This record gives sequence, C-alpha cells and structure tokens, in this order.
Amino acid sequence: MPQHLLGLMLVTPALAIVVLLFLVPLASSISGAFEVAGTVGLGNFAKAFELYGNDMAFTVVIVLSSTVLIGLGSIAISGYLTLGSNPRAVAILRWLYRWPLFVPFIVVGQVLRTFLAKNGLMNSMLIESGLLTASQTMSFLDWRGIIIAFTWKQTPFVTLLLAGAMASLDRSMIESARNLGASRPRILVEIILPQVMPTLMVGLILGVVTMMSVLSVPMMINAQTPTMITASMAFRINAYGDYGVANALGFVSLAMTSTVAWVYLRQTMRDQR
Amino acid sequence: MRNIVHTLLVLGLSASPLMAKDLTVITAGDQNMVDYINQYLGPLFESRNPGVTVRAVGTGPGDAGSQKVTERFDAQTQAKVEQWDVDVAVVHEKFVGPMVEKGQLEKYRGKIASGSLVTRENAKMALGTKVDGYVMPMFNSQTALAYNPALVANPPKSYEELVAWAKKNPKQFGYNGIKGGASGVSFVMGWIYAFAGDGDKLMNGPYEEAEAEKWKPAFAKLKEFSATATLTPGNAGTLDMLSRGEIAIGPVWVDMFYSWKADGRLPPEMKLVLPSPGMPGQPMHYVVPAKAANKELAEKFVELATSPEVQAKGIVERFNWYPGIDAQHVQAKLDPKVWQKLFTDIGPEDLAKNGKSFPIAPYNKALLEAYERQVGN
Amino acid sequence: MRSLALDPRWIPRALGLGLLAFVIFGPLTNLLLWAVAERWYFPHALPLKYGFTYWVNVFSPRGNATGALVNSVVIAGLTVVISIGLAVPAGYALARLRLPLRGVILLMLLVPQAFPNLPVYVNIARIFYQFGLNGTVLGVVLVHASHGLVYAVWIATAAFSALDKELEEAARSLGASALRTFVDVTLPLAAPGLLASAVFVFLESLDEFTGTYFVGAPDVSTLPLLLYTAGAGGNYQIASITALILLVPSIAFMLVIERFLRADVLSKVGR
Repeated sequence: MPQHLLGLMLVTPALAIVVLLFLVPLASSISGAFEVAGTVGLGNFAKAFELYGNDMAFTVVIVLSSTVLIGLGSIAISGYLTLGSNPRAVAILRWLYRWPLFVPFIVVGQVLRTFLAKNGLMNSMLIESGLLTASQTMSFLDWRGIIIAFTWKQTPFVTLLLAGAMASLDRSMIESARNLGASRPRILVEIILPQVMPTLMVGLILGVVTMMSVLSVPMMINAQTPTMITASMAFRINAYGDYGVANALGFVSLAMTSTVAWVYLRQTMRDQR
Repeated sequence: MRNIVHTLLVLGLSASPLMAKDLTVITAGDQNMVDYINQYLGPLFESRNPGVTVRAVGTGPGDAGSQKVTERFDAQTQAKVEQWDVDVAVVHEKFVGPMVEKGQLEKYRGKIASGSLVTRENAKMALGTKVDGYVMPMFNSQTALAYNPALVANPPKSYEELVAWAKKNPKQFGYNGIKGGASGVSFVMGWIYAFAGDGDKLMNGPYEEAEAEKWKPAFAKLKEFSATATLTPGNAGTLDMLSRGEIAIGPVWVDMFYSWKADGRLPPEMKLVLPSPGMPGQPMHYVVPAKAANKELAEKFVELATSPEVQAKGIVERFNWYPGIDAQHVQAKLDPKVWQKLFTDIGPEDLAKNGKSFPIAPYNKALLEAYERQVGN
Repeated sequence: MRSLALDPRWIPRALGLGLLAFVIFGPLTNLLLWAVAERWYFPHALPLKYGFTYWVNVFSPRGNATGALVNSVVIAGLTVVISIGLAVPAGYALARLRLPLRGVILLMLLVPQAFPNLPVYVNIARIFYQFGLNGTVLGVVLVHASHGLVYAVWIATAAFSALDKELEEAARSLGASALRTFVDVTLPLAAPGLLASAVFVFLESLDEFTGTYFVGAPDVSTLPLLLYTAGAGGNYQIASITALILLVPSIAFMLVIERFLRADVLSKVGR
C-alpha cells in the first residue's frame, strides 16, 4: 500500500469526528457571517471592525503577552526540573507547579477576582505581613488580571509537556557539557531548548487557541472596555440575538489563530524537507 | 474497540429519556433559582403528585442564561422534534416575545386557576410584543442602587443627586457597563429616562429611528460620568466590590442583593435606594413549550408555582422577591411583618412611581448600540 | 548528607520556591476559604463565620452532586479513550508518513478550539436532535472528543516526530514487523507525550459545560454544569465546593497516569 494512502487511513477516523461534529455545524455559522439581510455581504465584518476593532487589538496583545510569559515560565520551571542539582528542591517544585492545571477556567475567574481585587486576599495578605500599607494597594482587575489568569492557568500546561520532552532527551550530551564546565542556564538555552523547541511551540499554540476561546476569564475579571473577542461575541448574541456579527467576530478570531498555527506549520514542514 | 462501543451504547440508552414521569424545569437565572426549585417547589409538587420527579437544570445567570433556553428551543424547532425535552422554562422578559412570535409556546394562562390573578401590564406585553396568555410571572425583579450606609450617609435620591455625589466621591460609584449583565444596562436605561426625556415613548413605543438623536447629549454626559466611576466585572462583580468596600454604591438586582445578604457575602447593614425618575425592572416568566412532553403536568406545576400560597411562602417569605401575581392575593396569605420586609428600603409608593420597565425591544437594541459607539469606545 | 541549614544555596531556592508557592497557593487559599465560609465581607480580611451548610446543600439528594460527579468521570474517561485511540494512529501518520495536505489536516483539527464555539452549539444541538443523540452520554462524549482531539492529535504528532527514527529502523532490520516495531519500540518512546495529552483531554472534558448543556442536559447532568450557574452568578461557596470536588478525579487521574508512566518508561525504554 502506498504510504500516503495508509497515512490517510490512519488519520481519517479522527478527522471524521472533527469534520462531522464541528466543521459541518460550523459551516452554517461561517456562512452566516457573510450574510446580511438575506444576501451575501461584508456588512457584519464592517460592523465588527467598527465596534470591536479595539477588542481585536486588545485580544492580540493580551494573548501574545500571556504566551511570552507562559513560555518563559515553563522553560524556567521545566529547566530546573531537568537540571536542578538538589533532588529535594526538584521534588518540591514538581509537586508545586501543577496545581492550577486542575482548576477549571470558570473557577480561575472566580478565585482571581476575589484574590487580585483592591481589598482582595492578596493585598490583605501583603498588608498583614507588613510588605504593603493599605494606601499602596491597587486592583489588578483589568488587562493585567486577564494576563495573570491566563499565565497562572496555562503555564503548568506547557510545563508538563515541556518537562516530559526534556526528560526523554539523551542525558549524555548534557552530562558532557556539564563536565566541560558549562553553566546550567547555558546548557538549558544552547543544548536542551533547541531539541525541545517543537514541543514548546505545540504547547504554546495549544495555549493560544485555548486562551482565544475562553469566555469566563475576561467576563469575570476584566471590567473595562476594550475586552476580549469572546466576551464581545457573547454580548452580541445575548444582548442583540445577532449571530451575524458574532460569527464575523468568531471568524476573525479563527483567522488569528489559524495564522499563528499556519506560520508554525510552514516552519516545521520546511525543516523536514 | 467493540467493548467500548458496547459500553457507550448501554450508557447512551440507559440515559435516554424513557422515564415518562420526569418533569423537566429549565431555568435561567442565578443559583438560587435552581435551589428554589430543587429545595422548595420541586418537593412540594412531588408530594402533591406522587410518582412525579421534578428535575431542574440551570442555564446560568443573566441574558446569557435565557439565550441558552432560546437556543435550545430553536434547535428543537429546526430539528422538527415532536416531543421537546423541556416541560417548563423560566426566562427573562426580553426573551419571551421572540419565542411567542416563533410559535414555540403554549397559550396556557387561561387554562390554570392562578391565571386570573395576574393583571399587571407586563404579563400582557413583553418589551412591545404581545405575550398575553403565554406567560405567568414567577416574580418581579427590580434594579436599585445598593449602598453601604457607613460610607454613604445620605444616599442620592435621584440621578441628578447621584451625579453630584459621584463628582465629590470619585471612583466610589461602580457599575458594570452594558456587557457584564443587566444591572448595568438598567442603570444606563434609567440614565436615558432621566436625561434624555421621553421615557414613556421608549417603554411603550412606537419605535422611531429619529429618537436616537435625542440621546446624544445624555450619552456624552454618561461618558464623562463613567470616567469618574469605577467599572465592575458583571452583575456579581458590582456586588462583589460592594462587599469588599471597594465601591460605596452601585446598581444591583434587588433579588440578587437579598440572596447575597442571605448567603453572608454582603454586610447585613447594606441598603437599597431607588433613585428618581426610576430604574427598570423586569419579571421572570414561566413558559410552557407548545410541544412539551408533559404539558398537563407542566401547567399544573406553574399553577402551583403561581398560587397565592407558594408566591407568599416561596417567593416573598423565603427570598424577599416581589411576587409575580397581583400583590393583594399574596399579601392576604402573609403575616403583615413579613410583607413589610419587602418594603424595608424601598417603600411601595417609590416602587410604584420609580419602578420602570425596560424600553421596547427595538429601542433597547438601538440604545445599547448607541452606548457602544458613544460611551464604550 | 549536609544539613539543610548550613547549605547557603537553600536561600535562593527557598525564596524562589516560596514565591512560587505564594503565586500558586494564594488564589487556591481563596478557594479553600470560600468553601467553608458562611459569612465573609469587608472590612474583614478573613471569613467571619465558618461552617459546612453549603456542603450539606451540594450533597443533598436533590443537589445531586454525587451522580453528577460519577457522570463527569465516566464521560471524561470515555472521552480520553476515544480521543487517544484516534490520536495515536493519526499522530503517527502525521508525524511519520508522508501525507498530502498535512498542514491543512492539522489546522482542521485545531478549529474546534480556535473558533469560539458559542454560536456553533445551536447547530450541533440541531444535528444531534435529528440523530437522537441529544440527552445521551454518547452525544456528550462525542462533543467532548471533538475538542479533546485537538490536544490529543497535536501532542501525539509532536511526540512521534521527536522520536529518533534509528531505533525503529534497528528493530525493523532485526526482523520485527512494522506493527511489532510500533507497539514495542515507538509507542513506549512516545508514551510520556501521549499520557500528558491524556491528562489534558481528561481535564478539558471535566472543564466543559456549554456543550454538555446543549447536548446532554437535562438527561445527562455533570458537575461543571452545576458549577457554571454557581460560578457565573458569584455563588462563591457552591462554586468553590464544586471545584474542590472536581479536584479529586483530576488529581487521581494524574497520579494513575504518572505511576503508569514511570513503570512503563523504566521497564521498556531501559534508560
């Protein structure tokens, strides 16, 4: 059997589920985005950009900054897990970092709303411990809150993947570099990271995709406008029953994530050749 | 693999709706709506109708919750399902008009005994759509300003006074814009009633597109006002910030306000004030789908839920909500002291004078979009 | 063994770990406190009154938390089985076999997460009503699987592409069949990645409520469905308690996977 035929056979079941259960239902949403009063047009997009253009820019900035923070955090944590010299510290870290993974997004919204607020638990703890005075406190319930929430919840996700990839690397190269006197940060950046880069990228892309579709975090944490695209989409549907503009917003969001994913895929495919 | 398929089939089948005596009640609104059915109304109905089990499903608070009920109805309409999986639904006022227009609802009010106990206008019209006969109000809710008396000694009695107060106390007034739930929307509508003239026309129609011109100065003023206010994340977000003392006053739903107090999430000293010329309120309606599987049982359920006894004990005494059916029928069933509790902060005259309704649907949409353009951006 | 107190390197370590512990457990403390708080408001930094009345509520026969928990775990388990079952062949093909339109396929699998799915569920529900899948566990599992596959396939593809081809080629040259090589060599090597993806699929399913509402309710009730109403409405006590209950299966699943993983990697890979 030719290889690509076998390959298609292996992929088909998974693809079938996604196509039948998501892409087919999605098709009518997408076509709805291009429909204005019964005819094909771009009116929904014009309105989406006019009213929610700021939200789109805001979403890009929030997601990109969160992704950078998540990337740095996960590299640091998994790097220490792989290279840490003290087994006890490594064990503590391994036990510690994963907890946010198990907290559903809607609860992340809730706990951070009550934690990051001006008179929230974080500031009370800092005041009790003498690190802050009551007049120095401030609220983080704005764009910073969203970034904090995403970073808090998604860093363990990427770390778990990355630490797994690092653990399965060949240790001999790391050991010999150590014997030659290379510092651990240098080993991490120059030897380990290039080898686990594909895993890191996959983790980050999955993180981006998740952040783009979460509704509860922007709804529960961010009080200001602009807000994330998902929140505006929900508002469009709930307040106006307007699926046209909502779907146009969804389409924009899809285009953003697809671009990121496509750039990555192009890159890996070029590498393979 | 075969085992998995087998397991799935068994699970799939065993969970199918085969038990005919399940009455499914689906409710928009807060957790307390689900609790109300699970803890009070459901058991009461079951004890009077042996063999019946009441199942409650919550779809979440606010418009989003009612929207999910709407979407469920739409999906079943489009799929041409003959027997729907919902027997009774509780939805916000705004969503019943479209449901009636789409022919999804049963006209049942004439068939139940408590049907004649409702004469209020909002049981006949819902934001400009005739819904007479299709709905029974579960309770009436109202928005008002909640405040902390420790921080606000003399609460503002009107929108004018509120503007002056907010100027003197920057960032102490908080509201949730329009994207985070209806208490903020309600504050904005009240603002328009106060500063842009013709509230009656907005509430009763007729719709004229040119009306939007008149709102511009009011929205400009609101934009300026919002800069000195704190924006809160959602209906619950306003209550949340009130409870932590981060804001001193803000618009809330009266029913939510009382549940938060009862659950120990708000200081017991907190009070309400309804500023003139008024803020909107709305009823939550019981509706029965025309294709409900257990239609008779569903009607019996609503009949019980809107009987004077249940409205008195369940709605007023238990939750401190304003009753859905006409007040005199409910008042007669209650200790005067309990009845008076309803009016602790907002007296009956104030409520009658300043309890408004939302603008009719086309104005509602136009106002929200005007806010998005002129204040939000 | 050196004593802890004498090792100066514990100072930066303790600082770093302490800071991380604050960042992670600070918000979680909030969750724990709300789960047992009966009264908590300004200006009190901590709850005024503790108690378990809300636990009684959640676990009352009508609150139905126990049944919902069992449903959630069964659904999440089945979702993992389906997603991983489909992702292993798909991931292998995408990573190893020369496939036309590889990028397009991977992109298509990403869509269920990439398009905010609020407006799509109405369409899904309509289709499921037509096929009688509404109100069945199978329906819910299928919806969860269409989301879980994103994680499962992408991670599986990454895991398979990261493997060294030489080991497989060595096995083949020693006369092992393609299937045998896959089961004995390739799969164990890719196991860490695959199992990590299983954890995500499990958690994703335990976190999902919109799809469950449209496709499952009222016949299939899950814990996140109960959590949603409480969480979105600011019923902190009920939401916190439900979230704590959800921690139990999540962590249990993680531990099981981890034990499995360790034994597997040690015995078969032999490193």
